[in-house]
Amino acid sequence: MPKKYHIHPKATPLDLEYVCKFKIVRGENCINCGKCTKVCIYEAHKRRKDDPRKMADPNTVVCRNCFRCIQECPRGALEKSLDNDFTNIGGAFWKPDMLISLWKQAEDGKVPVSGAGYRGPFTGTGFDSMWTDMSEIVRPTRDGIHGREYISTSVDLGRRLNHLTFDTNGQLASKVPDTVDLSIPILFDTPVDNLISNVKVALVKAAAEINTCIIMPAVDITSDVEEYSNNIIPCLAPTEIDTYKAVLKKARLVSIEYSDTVLNDFPGLKEKIKKLSDALTIIRIPAMKDVEGIVAKLTHSGAEIIHIVADYRGQELNGSAGSDRRLLKDIIRAVHLRLVEDRIRDEITIIASGGIAMAEHVPKAMLCGADLTAIDIPLMIALGARVYEEPEKLLILPEGLAKIPLPIITQRMVNLMAAWHSQILEMMGAMGIREARRLRGETGRAIFFEEIDKETFGRLFKRREAVSV
Amino acid sequence: MKPSTVEIKKMPSRFKHQVPKYKVTRSDACINCGTCAKTCPYDVHERVEGHNKAKSPIDYKCIGFECQDEVFYCVAKCPRNALSLSLNPMYATLGDFRWTADMITGTWIMAETGYPPQRTDLEYNVGNSGGGFDKLRFKFPAHPPQVDKSEISTAIPLNRRNDGRANVVISTPVYGGGMSFGSVSLPTMVSKARNATIWNTFTCTGEGGYPEILQAYDDHVITQIATGLFGVREETVQRVKIIEFKYAQGAKPGLGGHLLGEKNTESVARMREAVRGYPLFSPFPFHSVYSIEDHKKHIDWVKEMNPNALVSVKVSTPNDVDMVAVGSYYAGAHIIHIDGGYGGTGAAPDIAKKNIAMPIEYAITKVHNFLKDEGARDAMTLIASGGIRTAHDLAKAICLGADGAVIGTAELVSLECVRCGNCESGRGCARGIASTDSELADLFDEDWATQRLVNMYHAWNVQLVEIIQRFGMRSVKELVGRTDLLEHIDYSHETESAHNG
Ligand code: SF4
Ligand code: SF4
Ligand code: SF4
Ligand code: SF4
Repeated sequence: MPKKYHIHPKATPLDLEYVCKFKIVRGENCINCGKCTKVCIYEAHKRRKDDPRKMADPNTVVCRNCFRCIQECPRGALEKSLDNDFTNIGGAFWKPDMLISLWKQAEDGKVPVSGAGYRGPFTGTGFDSMWTDMSEIVRPTRDGIHGREYISTSVDLGRRLNHLTFDTNGQLASKVPDTVDLSIPILFDTPVDNLISNVKVALVKAAAEINTCIIMPAVDITSDVEEYSNNIIPCLAPTEIDTYKAVLKKARLVSIEYSDTVLNDFPGLKEKIKKLSDALTIIRIPAMKDVEGIVAKLTHSGAEIIHIVADYRGQELNGSAGSDRRLLKDIIRAVHLRLVEDRIRDEITIIASGGIAMAEHVPKAMLCGADLTAIDIPLMIALGARVYEEPEKLLILPEGLAKIPLPIITQRMVNLMAAWHSQILEMMGAMGIREARRLRGETGRAIFFEEIDKETFGRLFKRREAVSV
Repeated sequence: MKPSTVEIKKMPSRFKHQVPKYKVTRSDACINCGTCAKTCPYDVHERVEGHNKAKSPIDYKCIGFECQDEVFYCVAKCPRNALSLSLNPMYATLGDFRWTADMITGTWIMAETGYPPQRTDLEYNVGNSGGGFDKLRFKFPAHPPQVDKSEISTAIPLNRRNDGRANVVISTPVYGGGMSFGSVSLPTMVSKARNATIWNTFTCTGEGGYPEILQAYDDHVITQIATGLFGVREETVQRVKIIEFKYAQGAKPGLGGHLLGEKNTESVARMREAVRGYPLFSPFPFHSVYSIEDHKKHIDWVKEMNPNALVSVKVSTPNDVDMVAVGSYYAGAHIIHIDGGYGGTGAAPDIAKKNIAMPIEYAITKVHNFLKDEGARDAMTLIASGGIRTAHDLAKAICLGADGAVIGTAELVSLECVRCGNCESGRGCARGIASTDSELADLFDEDWATQRLVNMYHAWNVQLVEIIQRFGMRSVKELVGRTDLLEHIDYSHETESAHNG
């Protein structure tokens, strides 16, 4: 059994102005009777320190929406509404509730737990249109979550052989290619350009602490992060290989930007890298139309690892009209199926990124066919960043970030990953899967909305279009 | 007990104010003439003699935009145009996609009055989730056969095996879900049992033992055997009419149960035969069950202990839920209780609630059809839960293939739960429903709670009878599996489109 992998969370609050969901206003007709102070068990209502005869402004940060003060104030003096900041942040993909949950996870490193049932829509787009399976009587895991049975989240990157060959003496004849082993199926991807120094170092340290790597523009790999070269994947264009010889030499993995030269002559490129370094090559491809065709072609010509990058909301790039842009879920499925059809799926490692925003997206992307994922924006959200989608993508980093001590921002990222790791275990445990490697393409353990809805309701309540044709 | 003989009594909210849907605003132009106070029949406006300012309007009593057509509409009557009417921003903080503010408000009205709301401005039958029940509609015939309401039966048998065990019949096809002592307050638990007795149906202890105080209601209490085996005693198994094996819970399938240390109080610990203050884990799964054969051994064991009792098997809704159901039939269970992924819980990881296992709507169809194909449908009682919020959900679930349903959240909402989701954090439920904190658990008494539940069950029964009547039927049993009586907004039925083509 492998050594048990564990990420150590530590409560790390940041003194930032978070967005709260609710706003409570005390009307002028308040008679300062103090009833609200008694009924709010979360202590949102207190008297003023300087003048205890009067009530202070409600502290809505702690409000849990129980409605007691609203319903019990003798004068009906309290008004509650959704806070404007809350309704304005995020967007259709980065939902405000999601941001609040991520902030919380970065603060305590715990799995978000709540009472009462699910409150969201029945289904949605992309990863929201799938559920994961579970086992209850046949083949369940034995309590993996509480640690009685070990669930491994390790994955490895690199080319794998389609089959092994043995010589006449029964000795292994195939040369087994190198792989890089990560403890969690999540790589870090550099979230923004021009990272301030402490954030950059924190990203690298956090990646090292949880035994994963960070993909970083080669130009950013300066002396301040040198000692972590094991955990840094330099990212560069094929033309820059000579410029970054030194960096390349130390790397275990290198990420090369996709271009026509890469597509047309991967072996030549690989040869060139090999002369300088033992690093395995990741080809970083934007998730464009027919990315599956490109991936197949690259795999046939010997590519080892391919990283498919969708936009920050998990959408296909350079799509013309907004509506027919595929989402990451469907892109991964298309790539996976294409490789399976070509019988080369096992030879290549697929990394999926863009719009991996919540823990659930990781196992879901893997069930669709990815070997692992990469994340970027959530790492900034861990530091209290706000995302806006409208009118255009905007990531606002908290003020004073440069002054926050390195250990604190590192721990926030580690916390987020601790919470995600525990949540991945929850989903795997329920599915009865003990090896993250086994998640890849395991669609039998997924329930897709389109399929199940058609199978059940489609069969019962025939499709209108189909009938009227 | 016939539903018609259940006694309905008005049981108002225990709070001074309700959550308002509308907002009545009085501007500075008001001269405190008192016109509005005189005109509004709902007492929204109050004028106090001697005060020079009118009191703030009591928003929650206002009937809203419907009032515009009334002669007494205060906004039109005010001589200074000082009044205006709008939607209250507060309403947006109540409810969610599944349980909308209208649905919560509607359920509160049912619990208060015993009848579905008279108000026409509340959509309380369907939620806003955009799928499943919320997309299904009834296809009522234009001219159904005339049936008098008094001829309609909502009773269903729970033992369909004909195996000589008790012929348990419940008067309305719903019963209360398992909520353990420790996760909800004693008044909540007792009122559920009293309601079950009045309605001749059941409630369930959940995992965590059988409080003595419930013994008076033995014939209407299902005792649960869950993976932690907390509080399971031979004498309780021997006393009750139904024993339920809980394999999994829809909201957190595959994850087992967890009672926080703070909630493991002296009395809870005694009941569970555990040490006070320690968190209590119910493991997942049953460590003695890894096959249907093991499962059968379990069932044989309780059947041996109590030769008259029925056995229910509660499972969640994985892909192979249909196999599990048929397996349970072969193992000798009477009731297969399937609990969908969107159901309620005292505490569960958000990731599990949203993602693990399928919604109940699909599972009902799957299980019903598979049991039918295996020739086992007539010998099993299929009970659905996990997302049955309203009487309409109940009737739709039955049309999809269930015999009846188990409800949980709807009961809590009747006791004025607002679905804030804080049941298990800190001192527990601030509204005293799901808390064993001595101060909070005392926020209401059993009489109030029992009547609220009785009223809500009555309102559901009224709606159910109405649906059965509109289909020209005489029994709820005729509805089972009648998917032809439903339509789905996204798909439509052949006959309808046939007109176009
Ligand atoms: S309960 Fe109402 S009137 Fe009393 S202090 Fe609070 S807000 Fe003011
Ligand atoms: S709604 Fe509840 S939690 Fe929020 S301030 Fe009022 S009493 Fe406190
Ligand atoms: S709108 Fe109608 S119900 Fe509302 S306050 Fe005015 S008169 Fe009363
Ligand atoms: S009111 Fe809130 S804490 Fe109480 S039972 Fe309902 S959801 Fe749970």
